[in-house]
Amino acid sequence: MDHMEYVLSILPFIASGLKLTAKIYVATLIFALPVGLLAAIGKVRGPKIITKILYLYTWIWRGTPLLLQLFFMFYGLPIIGIRLSPFAAATITYTLNSGAYLTEIFRGGIESIDKGQYEAAKALGMTYSQTMRRIIIPQTVRRVLPPTCSEAVNLVKETALLAVIGMPDLLRIATQIFTRDFNITPFIVAFVLYLIISSVLVRLFSTLEKKYSIYE
Amino acid sequence: MTMIRMSNIHKYFGKLQVLKGVSLEVNKGEIISIIGPSGSGKSTLLRCMNQLEKIDQGIVEIEGIVVEAAGDKEAKIVATPQEVKKAYRKMGMVFQSFNLFPHMTALGNVIEAPMLVNKASKDDALKIAEKQLAKVGLLEKKDAFPSKLSGGQKQRVAIARALAMNPDIMLFDEPTSALDPELIGEVLSVIKNLAQEHMTMLIVTHEMGFAKEISDRVIFMDDGKILEDSNPIDFFDSPRHPRIKTFLEKML
Repeated sequence: MDHMEYVLSILPFIASGLKLTAKIYVATLIFALPVGLLAAIGKVRGPKIITKILYLYTWIWRGTPLLLQLFFMFYGLPIIGIRLSPFAAATITYTLNSGAYLTEIFRGGIESIDKGQYEAAKALGMTYSQTMRRIIIPQTVRRVLPPTCSEAVNLVKETALLAVIGMPDLLRIATQIFTRDFNITPFIVAFVLYLIISSVLVRLFSTLEKKYSIYE
Repeated sequence: MTMIRMSNIHKYFGKLQVLKGVSLEVNKGEIISIIGPSGSGKSTLLRCMNQLEKIDQGIVEIEGIVVEAAGDKEAKIVATPQEVKKAYRKMGMVFQSFNLFPHMTALGNVIEAPMLVNKASKDDALKIAEKQLAKVGLLEKKDAFPSKLSGGQKQRVAIARALAMNPDIMLFDEPTSALDPELIGEVLSVIKNLAQEHMTMLIVTHEMGFAKEISDRVIFMDDGKILEDSNPIDFFDSPRHPRIKTFLEKML
């Protein structure tokens, strides 16, 4: 069989894996960004008890392997009677993990904004939430774009751990085809696809960075 | 009419006492310069007026409304939180380091608070902002971001931003201390124009000539206390206190 024809023949399977990877990736980002932002604000300004809980959260989720976290969600929770669909379990795990990293990224960004900005806003009569929304967060966004880009790209690659817990993601499908046909082409296709997704993300973030840099 | 009354203000930073029982009354239309060596509590006193610093003891009144009271059982805030907020809004502040919002244009900086805080319509806010920017001579720079403005221009935009809230009282915290010498004049002349409109002003400054020319009263602070509160002619030409004499000799 011609090589190109072979690639075309496996593409439908590959596409189904790519679809799952993309779904989990997008769902994670949609949830993790607000989780990170709210947790960061909570850490900067929340009451002591909230700060402590959030400290515990980032400590645990950044301090243990993501794969182990997936194991707990997939094999541990059912033991105590919590049954989630694989998609939900995966999305929750990735969201909490990524959210923990984003919390620290956003917290650093918020804390890097000059104290004078808060004072000027307060002297003009703005409330704390107005100050955050209109003055602090927009400046923070610009500063956290580069580390957020790294986190977004990391997350693409981390979705490949889904293969280990048996979800038919891009890597898992590629592996299945490899075992069936004993041909490494599916790995090469997966390799190229991951690289394309990462590159698109990097491009997207540098466009955003340019857009947010006009005032510098 | 008394615009600001501060009674027996005490303020600590940790164990360090920076204000040691300061009392001060500011009348409508008065222009008061606050001078003194660094660390004497001048800026802190100003910042205690608009809640940028919390007082540890004393009473702060703005236009007859007690907005802060601490350390004394008899001193109480009787006004509603809305009334207190409204009283604070009568004061505008200008900072040494400008504190413009870097992600907004000059115009954006000026329209922000009228729209957000006073709920002005965009059209009204634009009208107010353009008027204020014209007043400080920067209407043609309205679309420039702060990073493209000189220090003097930044401070003038900051003054326009404070004026756009239509304050009765303006607080200036060392408005020219961060400026190159050749840019100080343009900022001082904007403040002088305000003086001609009889704006009530408190100015913490190291510009002695300016203080002498513009002020109705000069307050000298030293070690957390007001050492002298007099008219500028007596203050500069025949200072009574030896501390003030030495200070003025060093400054001139």
